[in-house]
Amino acid sequence: MSALSELSHLKHRGPVTPEQRAARRKEASHDNKAGYLFLLPWLVGLFVFTLGPILASLYLSLTDYSLIQAPNFLGLDNYERMLTDDRLHQSLKVTLIYVGVGVPLQLALALGVAVLLNKGMRGLAFYRSVFYLPSMLGSSVAIALLWRQIFGTTGLVNQVLQLLGLDATTGYVSDPDYALWTLILLNVWTFGSPMVIFLAGLRQIPTMYYEAAALDGASRISQFARITMPLLSPIIFFNLVLQIINAFQAFTQAFVVSNGTGGPSDSTLFYTLYLYEQGFTRFDMGYASAMAWLLLAIIATFTAVNFLLAKFWVFYDD
Amino acid sequence: MTETIAGEIDAPRTPADHLRSLVKHAVLIAVSLLMIYPLLWMIVSSLRPTEVIFRAPGLWLNQLYVDNYAEGWFALSQAFDWYLVNSAIVVSGAIIGNLISCSLAAYAFARLKFRGRGLWFAIMLMTIMIPIHVIVVPQYILFNAFDMVNTFLPLVLPKFVATDAFFVFLMVQFIRGIPRELDEAATIDGAGHLRIFGQVLIPLMIPALATTAIFTFIWTWSDFFTPLIYLTSPDMYTVPVALRSFLDATSGSNWGAMFAMSIVSLIPMFLAFLFGQKFLVKGIATTGGK
Amino acid sequence: MRPNRRQFMAMASLGAVGATVAGCSRGGGSSDSDDGSSLQFTWWGNEVRNGNTQDALDAYMEENPDVSIEAQPGEWASYWDRLATQTAGSNAPDVIQMDMAFISEYGQRGALLDLSEYGADTSQFTEGTADAGVIDGALYGINAGVNTPTVLVNPQIFDDLGIDIPDDTTWTWDDWRDLAAEISSSSDVIGTSGIVQVDAMFSAWLRQQDKELFVEGNQVGFEVDDVRAWFEMGQDWLDAGATPGPSQMTEDVSKPLDQQDYVVGNTAMAMVWSNQLQAVETSGGNERRILRFPSLSGDATDRRAWYKASMLWSASATTEDPEGAVALINWWMNSQTAAEIELAERGVPPNAEISAAIRDQLSDPQQRVSQFIEDIVPELAATPIAPPPGGGQVGTLLQRYGFDMLFGDTSSADAAQGFYDELTAGL
Repeated sequence: MSALSELSHLKHRGPVTPEQRAARRKEASHDNKAGYLFLLPWLVGLFVFTLGPILASLYLSLTDYSLIQAPNFLGLDNYERMLTDDRLHQSLKVTLIYVGVGVPLQLALALGVAVLLNKGMRGLAFYRSVFYLPSMLGSSVAIALLWRQIFGTTGLVNQVLQLLGLDATTGYVSDPDYALWTLILLNVWTFGSPMVIFLAGLRQIPTMYYEAAALDGASRISQFARITMPLLSPIIFFNLVLQIINAFQAFTQAFVVSNGTGGPSDSTLFYTLYLYEQGFTRFDMGYASAMAWLLLAIIATFTAVNFLLAKFWVFYDD
Repeated sequence: MTETIAGEIDAPRTPADHLRSLVKHAVLIAVSLLMIYPLLWMIVSSLRPTEVIFRAPGLWLNQLYVDNYAEGWFALSQAFDWYLVNSAIVVSGAIIGNLISCSLAAYAFARLKFRGRGLWFAIMLMTIMIPIHVIVVPQYILFNAFDMVNTFLPLVLPKFVATDAFFVFLMVQFIRGIPRELDEAATIDGAGHLRIFGQVLIPLMIPALATTAIFTFIWTWSDFFTPLIYLTSPDMYTVPVALRSFLDATSGSNWGAMFAMSIVSLIPMFLAFLFGQKFLVKGIATTGGK
Repeated sequence: MRPNRRQFMAMASLGAVGATVAGCSRGGGSSDSDDGSSLQFTWWGNEVRNGNTQDALDAYMEENPDVSIEAQPGEWASYWDRLATQTAGSNAPDVIQMDMAFISEYGQRGALLDLSEYGADTSQFTEGTADAGVIDGALYGINAGVNTPTVLVNPQIFDDLGIDIPDDTTWTWDDWRDLAAEISSSSDVIGTSGIVQVDAMFSAWLRQQDKELFVEGNQVGFEVDDVRAWFEMGQDWLDAGATPGPSQMTEDVSKPLDQQDYVVGNTAMAMVWSNQLQAVETSGGNERRILRFPSLSGDATDRRAWYKASMLWSASATTEDPEGAVALINWWMNSQTAAEIELAERGVPPNAEISAAIRDQLSDPQQRVSQFIEDIVPELAATPIAPPPGGGQVGTLLQRYGFDMLFGDTSSADAAQGFYDELTAGL
């Protein structure tokens, strides 16, 4: 049997014999106990460390909590205030642009490089390490200095442009028209993490599929579309869902580059940056908590849509 | 370093292939330069006196100023190796914790059918959607009540109970990509879940486990906010908190020492990645997978 | 099933080992001594200040063997996150280095101790230095070092251009602008760093018109039109070529002090706090000249200068040992031992006697600052009250609305209105 037809057999779920079906049913009846046993550490973590603080933030979102004084119950005031908060709307706009542009660019680059690096070639380990390097530096203080060094008024970009005879004096990090784009670039530049995950995923694809496909005379493009894409789809899906969640919560890089202000002119005011400002700089943790729950609702919606759409393109072998 | 060749098999070498390979390497090297520029800049900065760092343009060094390293190593209340050891303790705890607890939970979500699975899975995803800044205060109050402030426990203990949902989800996706026939064969042999998990899936999940270990290492190693909040005594500082001690935005900072020690603290991260990536290439691809 | 269980046990014990290792505390830790008092002491600073502070704490513990002090150093940007979290967790350190921008936030909300109730001693303090930490009659913080706004000039740039350094006893705001414009037009250095976003300069300019940033009762002491005039002045300075453009100014304010335009020599003048002179000279590599900030009238005695606390010592309201905390602060501010360790690193000591006693040991820039602080006594007016909760935002808001206008995105009237509304809404 050729590998490709074997694959399509997997994909379309071949007929299941009655014995197999019975085995599965038998398994299902046993799974309740085993399931909760395996899940036990996670459940302990959820109930001891995670759920309490999350529910606390839900309660605090209904109060005027200042961090320093005990909270007073307000009802839905904080949520009402969000309707007329222009800076909140600005932060949503900035964040949506960041998610909408940054995530696809970063993922496409990560996937492309991972596929390229997955092939046997000289210096593979070196390239992989070098491409991952920016992700290691990603959140250090040095990044803010570096970004200014590159995109500042007298930065590297302008120096190069001036060498080319252009009159370049724009400070890209400090100009409202460009600042957000430098941060999107910074995000794309740290494509190492999704790349590593793609690489790990590619390594799980059995080589024999490709060997068989090559013998069948399938082109590289056809191999990519018919073997790599479907078998990698759970991992692509994972990266997509998680990078969207991460991008909505983008904080550190924007914080260090703008020194926490979200400037210039709020052009890099990411949602969590504004949330942090409300909570820790203005001592309005009640409002910050309400903002957190709005963000949760937005991210949950995106994630739910992702899961619904996954039915059409993500291929699981179970 | 030898690499197992996955992907398609290399065609016989022709001049055209050589040319293509040359172009590919040229492109990769050009991109590598973009990637490596910040590291070069940091290394160069660590070899310049603090007063020169932000005034000397480019990457050219007229002289090597290595004093930053000696000075930075001994400038804080402990020699710098003390903080490296602190970080190493936290990181090893976190890695062990994440590997065990996240893989157990992932097996349950990916392979077992039990009541409430969908709901728990949704709750798990929800826990990564809430911004850390609103839960840090309740969490601090919690750990303070447990009398764990100023110990490494708040940084490590949660990892043993799979609070890093990112890795649970990651492993779920990997397990679901492993052909089910493999564990069904084991079921028919009469193996229990622990054996399927330990003997069938774990070996197949090595790329996912390696990814988890690498990411846990790098993220924990460079995490600043959590240690900042929980580790108040300088003797407990991890590397990122110690690095900030060189800086003060309102007066003068010892940038030279900061860069020098940043480079020092990058070395373990880089070694961890180099070592860990070897395991990225194991798995079905090399174990045959039938 | 036996091998499985063994595997599982192996994994579990591995986990236990990890947890144990992580649980052990290295050195320090919280060592509560049963007899005598134990204090937690927190501050922000760089490694020089950290060294001094630790030395002073050691000296205090030597003098008072029954006291043990746990040091919690920090760094400005992250210091406040940790302090807020600790305060929320009712676990704030006993002695806290405080800043004028935050003292009301903590004091008015009941997080700080009224130090006067526990024997705080400011009897030897120079006039105008002790009341910095007084809010609604309660002493929430003791001035840890005297600070005053100044205009620093870079004499080297003036020399190179053959321009005279102005007479700071008679210069006006317009003189500052014209001089800066002259420098910009005759060199590639820009005359002065921007001032539109500097809250101290806005405050000085308001005070010279008999107004204040804030008045009692958590109110602002100025009108929208004042902000508008201030913003228009910023626009005027930009148009005259006196200051850098908004993009460069944005970049400048996000930099740490030691990389700012004035410090590295990209601008010839800037508003700088007096206690930063030494850091500026060290990073800038040459000596700078301290000038009085200008007046509207052209007479320095009208300029309504003031002393600000460069930082303050506060104590947590939840401390178990208020007397011990205050005793430590008293020692810090009034003892020769502490002063000789610290010198003027946190600003010139407000205790006149101490300040005089250590004068000779100060570094050259610190001596010039100390002299300047003494010289301006005749020009001092009432100390501005501490900004109320939400008032620490003035600088950030001036920056956002002011720069918006300079970028040409809003009119001065809209920017002023926006600034005023957002500031008052936050109080």
